[in-house]
Amino acid sequence: MIRVDSDSQLLARAQGGDQEAFAELFRRHSDPVFRLALSILGQGFAAEAEDVAQEVFIKAHYALASFRGEAEFGSWIYRITFNQAVNLKARARYRRPHLDDTVLSHAVSAEPGPHSLLETAQRNQSLSECIQTLPEVYQSALRLYYWMGASVAEVAALLGVPENTAKSYLHRARQLLDGMLKEKGYSYV
Amino acid sequence: MSDMDPREAEMDSLLRRSMTAPVPRLSPDFHQVLSRELRRRSQPPNQFGRILLAGYGGLSAVTSIVVMRGQGLGWVAIAVMTLGPLAALELARRLRRRQWGMAAK
Repeated sequence: MIRVDSDSQLLARAQGGDQEAFAELFRRHSDPVFRLALSILGQGFAAEAEDVAQEVFIKAHYALASFRGEAEFGSWIYRITFNQAVNLKARARYRRPHLDDTVLSHAVSAEPGPHSLLETAQRNQSLSECIQTLPEVYQSALRLYYWMGASVAEVAALLGVPENTAKSYLHRARQLLDGMLKEKGYSYV
Repeated sequence: MSDMDPREAEMDSLLRRSMTAPVPRLSPDFHQVLSRELRRRSQPPNQFGRILLAGYGGLSAVTSIVVMRGQGLGWVAIAVMTLGPLAALELARRLRRRQWGMAAK
């Protein structure tokens, strides 16, 4: 029978200097950490999201001794990831304009004709710009849910909030986007 | 998500249609790169590096003390100005470590 240690068991071993336990912890959490960073940075920033993930694990490794376990290891590391990615995004904004969500330019249109294709592309471009003006948690929740196909429970776990809060982030984000698109004169109904 | 009004449901559908690009994945060598980086950062500076750093620090301190003394400053002021930044640095390091420990609170 294979023994699967819980995060807290692995954490206790890692705090005692067991490198294998730390390696197992980061293997377990590397994918969610990467996805969370990517959901904040946006599509086209996979390399940066990977850098964030690397930096997060390095910081976690050095801060492990001072982690007292008041929260779950996962919540702790996701909080570090969120802060790290938001900081990186803020710094990048000063260097160059944040790229559009090219995720939206891949939209497949069932409508025929160049005119409707152009209209769809323009609406998607506007939608992308609107998403980027939303608060970071809303942007992250939208990308996790719609782009990465995460469930509400996963969105909640990654953002460190209860499920109802994650639902309300999505609800509020949709409402805000609806208002913004209406203001820009786009109709999608 | 079934409790949406029609407008919100349309926005939901628009977002689903729009966000269809493939999701990138972590590079397969991510764990190796991370382990390498951790090993590299965990290595203490070599003996030569340590001697060089200590020599540079000592020389800077002596030069500062001589210059400050030349300007007529008292020994107490010199001690505060030399040891103060070191104490502040140590305090900042401790605070940062504590902050990381509480990051998830």
